[in-house]
Amino acid sequence: MALDDNIIELINADIDGEITSDDKAELARVLERNAEARVMHEQLSALCESLDSEAQLDPPTHLRHVIMNQVPEKTVEPESESWLHALFVTPAVRYAATFAAGVIMTILIIDSGQIEQTRFDDMTRLVGTVSDTSEYGPAVATMTVNKAQVAGQVALRRADPIMILDFNLATSGPVDIVASYTDRTVWFNGFAQLEATGTSISADDGEIRIQVNGKRRYAVFLHNSDSRNVSIELQFFANGQPIHRETLNYSGGR
Amino acid sequence: MERSIKGDRQAFEQLLVRYEKPVYNAAYRMLHSRDDARDVTQTVFLKVYENLDHYDPKYRFFSWIYRITLNESINVLKKSSRLESLNTEAESPAKGPEQQATSDELSEGVQTALMAIKSDYRSIVILKHFLGCSYQEIADILEIPEKTVKSRLYTARQLLKEQLDKSGKH
Repeated sequence: MALDDNIIELINADIDGEITSDDKAELARVLERNAEARVMHEQLSALCESLDSEAQLDPPTHLRHVIMNQVPEKTVEPESESWLHALFVTPAVRYAATFAAGVIMTILIIDSGQIEQTRFDDMTRLVGTVSDTSEYGPAVATMTVNKAQVAGQVALRRADPIMILDFNLATSGPVDIVASYTDRTVWFNGFAQLEATGTSISADDGEIRIQVNGKRRYAVFLHNSDSRNVSIELQFFANGQPIHRETLNYSGGR
Repeated sequence: MERSIKGDRQAFEQLLVRYEKPVYNAAYRMLHSRDDARDVTQTVFLKVYENLDHYDPKYRFFSWIYRITLNESINVLKKSSRLESLNTEAESPAKGPEQQATSDELSEGVQTALMAIKSDYRSIVILKHFLGCSYQEIADILEIPEKTVKSRLYTARQLLKEQLDKSGKH
């Protein structure tokens, strides 16, 4: 026989601690004489106890700063020019003005299966602090390219669980860069660049292809949740011909 | 709260610290996906920040943020056409690495059962058992009468129990 709605309500209210003393007394009387009500009370109590004791997940460690870096600043402080002087031959004032104006940043999310899983993961920190990427994470390896077609630096930065390939390059024409790594537990997690055009990117399993043209500052985010040791080989091509090859090693402790 | 409304990022960060975990967990319970939960958490806090000046302090902040969380989660479900096809999803054995890690930490039976019930019921269970809200608070958050909260919660529990009995995990 189905239990009366009133009894069901009393049972649930009791379990939820939202029962009056009068109702509690009434429920006690019901439970004493009604076996079906007792069974329901026991079963629902067990269910609720199991729900209440469920573990809570910790949000991703970097989520908080990703959010904070998407929250607009109330006032925009002008950026220092010194960093730009050090990196670009182009008159720094142009870039400083760009930064001071808020820096037009484009975040490109490239369509790949892995990005679908983790879109918008930790890409925004660089957007806000492109003038000082050291704040984003220390450089664990760097390389310098000095060719007629391309010159500049690439740094591999640590921001666990993210590795950041921080490209700071100037090219005289289109240059293709292939970043490859063999560790399949590492996956492409996003891309951010200064300025709206001039760089394109595609990602495949273990390989990222970037085409850059002009002076560009951009970052490639790689997820290395297990903090593994990873070697990333960078190959530069101009007109389809290899012009430079170098490996950046990431020491993650595993 | 007042400082956050005035655009104080530090004050807003305190709200983020306080509510990040419950928001993320509520979204995860609604969606059964860490990635979606992360996206929803981001969206929720950005919406909160953008709309702080519309927030009426006479209402409790958590009511507002939890309502946004559930609505955003439901939007994700709708977008991914999973809203009413969750039975099949719950039965799907396919799991990615993250999903597997989650299974290790949380009771898979409970989450699978949760995903098998309709989002209306799931919302109520989440608010009651994972966010610790009272009947009245749930009514405020969902903007439904307290009586409806009670009846939905009772039904949700029955449905959950049936699902858990069916899977032999309860």
